Amino acid sequence: MKEMKRYSLTLTVNNETHEVVAPPNRTLLEVLREDLHLTGTKEGCGEGACGSCTVLVDGQPVRSCLTLAVAMEGRKITTIEGLAQGGRLHPIQAAFVEHHAIQCGFCSPGMILTAYALLNENPNPGEAEIRRAISGNVCRCTGYAKIVKAVQSLAGEGR
Amino acid sequence: MKLPPFEYLEPSTVPEALSMLDAYRDKVQIIAGGTEVVNRLKLRLIRPDYVMNIKKLRDLEGIVEHEQSIIIGANVSVKEIRDSSLLQDKYKAIAEAAFQVAAPPLANMGTIGGNILQNTRCLFYNQSEIVLKGLDVCHKRGGASCLAVKGGKRCFSVYQGDMAPALIAFDAQCVLEKSGSRRTIPIMALFTGQGVQPFSQENNELLTGIIIPKQNRAYGSAYRKLRVRGSMDYPLASAAALLALGADGRFAAGRLVIGASGPAPKVVDRVSAALLGKLPEEADLKAAADMAYELSEGVDNLVLPGDYRKKMVRVFAQRALQGARTDMKRGM
Repeated sequence: MKEMKRYSLTLTVNNETHEVVAPPNRTLLEVLREDLHLTGTKEGCGEGACGSCTVLVDGQPVRSCLTLAVAMEGRKITTIEGLAQGGRLHPIQAAFVEHHAIQCGFCSPGMILTAYALLNENPNPGEAEIRRAISGNVCRCTGYAKIVKAVQSLAGEGR
Repeated sequence: MKLPPFEYLEPSTVPEALSMLDAYRDKVQIIAGGTEVVNRLKLRLIRPDYVMNIKKLRDLEGIVEHEQSIIIGANVSVKEIRDSSLLQDKYKAIAEAAFQVAAPPLANMGTIGGNILQNTRCLFYNQSEIVLKGLDVCHKRGGASCLAVKGGKRCFSVYQGDMAPALIAFDAQCVLEKSGSRRTIPIMALFTGQGVQPFSQENNELLTGIIIPKQNRAYGSAYRKLRVRGSMDYPLASAAALLALGADGRFAAGRLVIGASGPAPKVVDRVSAALLGKLPEEADLKAAADMAYELSEGVDNLVLPGDYRKKMVRVFAQRALQGARTDMKRGM
């Protein structure tokens, strides 16, 4: 096969515009980590099962390992680096710290972004709704109880 | 895992997409949500020259209610189906199937068209290139042996889509378009029943929409599935049921479809005649579930043993029938 065409992409990540040149077989995960050096987004399984690569696209959690970067022009991408403002943790990040919802931390970016999307859609979720929302994010350390508590602590707060 | 090289196509209209399909045929792989295709690309199970992203085709969006039917665009996400109050209310089996597809982030990405057209799976096929290099080349990979059924003369890979059984229970149809023509066929006719080539779709055809007929009598529906992790797995046994009652309170129609039981969903044909005219009693539902058991194919090629999955088809068929009976409501 002849050499792949490379695309000049304009990606909006964390409200900033980035120009990236990439072939079409680059995933959003690869572009975020390797081109934009936003390494908060993690690669776990690489096949959509674990949720550690979760980012928000137009506010919805998606798997960046299964997303082609070339298809992301015109979409609003949010990574974990986009949550803290002015050096202050976002309230969801602070709640994770407060409730000891982080151990090794590998799942935390995906968990926090998933919780962020849930709370935007439903500011007052019950435990079952929280568990359902994070059901696609695997955590091998915490047993989920503290993560659920951290998200629950924010229910009804309106941010 | 890195993706293999390919050229990228992004049509902005359906005619443009159809003309690309016409030009590239077997060399092109269609992608929408990507949850299925990107993994198949990563595993090198497919090596297309072109990947055509149809996600920007606005004509393939929307859930629209018509007088006699509901039309769902092929690009409608599984999440939209799950969240549709119309589908939750009137087509419960379809909404329940969508609710059980993978996990929420994958339902955000995946489309109904992609879910229907997902390829069959097998533990001896859905593996990385490195693992497959150490295995005999099976039917699915163009060889002449089956690694799941020793001496098997055909491919026993399993269709594990959730949406198709529920849609088939409602006798839904799909619209296939190609340059200059379109055809509407029952979703069941989209399946060949062959593991190697599971779909009858031609290589220049695009699935553009799903048509679900309305019911005109009291009816109920449900979808149930077995999976290891309640949070996200493919079905290991599944069943969709649609039951309709006549004015006399007896069954006027019954349709039971099982999934993850062979290379295509299976309509348990005998159920309709067996239930007709009967009162909606448990013994009849159990008898119908027994018919599903007889039809199911239990092969040791998924994460649970084949004979266990076959037994569970009966259990989940009965649960789906019970769920359909509970869901009973007036016709639309």
